[in-house]
Amino acid sequence: MRTAGLDIGSRTVKLVVIEQGETVLTRKGLTSHDPLEAARALMEEVHYDTIVATGYGRHLLKGHLDCPVISEIKAFALGAKAIHPSCRVILDIGGQDTKVISLSEGGEMSKFEMNDKCAAGTGRFLEIMAHALGYTLEEFPKAALSAGRFEKINSMCTVFAESEVISLTAKGAARSEVALGIHRAIVSRSTALLRRIAPSGEVFFAGGVALNSCVEALLAEELARPVVVPPDPQSVGALGAAIHAASARPRRESAKEGSGGYDNSERSVE
Amino acid sequence: MKGTVEPLINDEYTGGPPTKRVLARLQKKRANGKKVAGVYCGYAPAELILAMDIAPATLCAFSDGTIEAAETVLPANLCPLIKSSYGFIITDTCPFYGLSDVIIGETTCDGKKKMFELIADVKPTYIMDLPQVPDENEAVVNWTLMIGKLRRFLEETLGAGTTEDAIVDSNRKSAMMRKVFEYAAVKPSIVGWREIYDLAFLAQGSRGEEMEPFCDKAIEVLDARREAGYVYGSAGAPRVLVTGCPVSGDAEKVFRIIEEAGGVIVALDACSGFKPFMTDIEEGTGNPVRALSERYLKIPCSCMTPNARRLTEMTRLIEKFRPDAVIDVVLQACHSFNIESHKVGKHVEKSHGLPFLKIVTDFSLGDVEQIRTRVEALLESC
Repeated sequence: MRTAGLDIGSRTVKLVVIEQGETVLTRKGLTSHDPLEAARALMEEVHYDTIVATGYGRHLLKGHLDCPVISEIKAFALGAKAIHPSCRVILDIGGQDTKVISLSEGGEMSKFEMNDKCAAGTGRFLEIMAHALGYTLEEFPKAALSAGRFEKINSMCTVFAESEVISLTAKGAARSEVALGIHRAIVSRSTALLRRIAPSGEVFFAGGVALNSCVEALLAEELARPVVVPPDPQSVGALGAAIHAASARPRRESAKEGSGGYDNSERSVE
Repeated sequence: MKGTVEPLINDEYTGGPPTKRVLARLQKKRANGKKVAGVYCGYAPAELILAMDIAPATLCAFSDGTIEAAETVLPANLCPLIKSSYGFIITDTCPFYGLSDVIIGETTCDGKKKMFELIADVKPTYIMDLPQVPDENEAVVNWTLMIGKLRRFLEETLGAGTTEDAIVDSNRKSAMMRKVFEYAAVKPSIVGWREIYDLAFLAQGSRGEEMEPFCDKAIEVLDARREAGYVYGSAGAPRVLVTGCPVSGDAEKVFRIIEEAGGVIVALDACSGFKPFMTDIEEGTGNPVRALSERYLKIPCSCMTPNARRLTEMTRLIEKFRPDAVIDVVLQACHSFNIESHKVGKHVEKSHGLPFLKIVTDFSLGDVEQIRTRVEALLESC
């Protein structure tokens, strides 16, 4: 059976198709202002038996394809376990949120926590700060890693931090040192979340921000714990959704899907 | 079955906001010459108010719509309940406030305390100084004095008399309500949060004798549902206990998200739910005001310290209602519920082995999808 997982994130859409436990196809695209169209473009000419959606756009796809959905927390837990079976702690920093998931000894999700509802300290934050400093996303971590010292960034709010960056550069601060300060700020926020939910053990680091080598290095340094980044950290959630599609019971037998039953009972009461 | 099920309260207000039913009843009382006291909080001693032949009215506090007006004066980073309450008053849009002859407030938190100062000159307003270390001996003495002073304030302002039967009547009401709540413990569920919530809202300012026909009818309907094998929600739906700050009006988004994610809410552990009806007042003590004082100081609100009763009460609720998960709803900037959530979460996970989720939110719809992701992940783990 070929199963597909589609992860519609805030910044990127990821598609993974698996067959007999092996990934046979991976595709990525930008979410843009039209996530449904972005999903359609990715799925063109792709063949599969069943599909499961995850990510912020999961319910949008459900409305069009009538496919089951799972939360990205479950998707990341499933994907991470498949890639790295010994993993018990997952850090995912995506476009608009950061989540820490802790797994039980048996590999089941036992606890999770996400950042506040704003995008402070996430991928979007890094994008805006790189832009403010005139770096591409590829140059940004390299410049930060090259700095010998760093300028402390105090605010985690994207808007305030951008003002802080502008003030620092206006004062003549070295661009690379400001860049390192930004990376340190994002890491200290993630480590606080990690210490609360999963105080020990190896950290499986996924999501688009895991592509940033400076965040990875600072994370390992600050936590003094091993940090593992998979070869394709962005598609862990899509892989998890594809794995779920392969293992899921047929939809109608599942108790937790859909809310139609409530609508009926509410209406009948009126 | 679903097409024919009879609602717990079957009147022209069924299906609409429960405030309309309560408002209509208050307007009728007011037209008959009854005085009305506006209240904000579960610490307002309803029995004393009812005993003096005054009708208590729960004031509006749960709309996102009045917050913008409130923020012309109040800071944005404040509890939405306080901002909304104040916004209702300055825009003159709370009909319950309009009907009220007097307003009763309590010093439960700093935000409310200081907000009350800003409305004190609009209507006769009495602020009760609430002791917050309830297990100290002085607490019950001081709160008894405060309730006595409130009685004198009401007598001087409204000229009302007193009767002694209100405590007995209140206990009867609480017992009837608890009997209805028992049906929320039935597994699989036969009743959703909306119907239980509406009944609790109606009961808050009502006398036991007023509630009797409503409770009798509700029990009759629930018995019929159980006999007919009616199931609320989908079979095997995870059962959720919701605890924390009061949830009503625009904050009901959290309840809706839980149901949309496939959960059934079986217990409402808040002042807007079960809390006002869980503890009886001692009868026949010869000192009814002190009996009231003792009962009110047993309310396990996060403004109290230490607040061990919150956890012992939660254990009772978990054992009775058998939830599969616990969700703690904290309103933005409610520091006491927010900090207490750490203890509540540990208690739920360690003592009961249940998954736990804290949601910090306000009355806007901006965070619905973020909450949905968290709730879906929680229910997936049940």
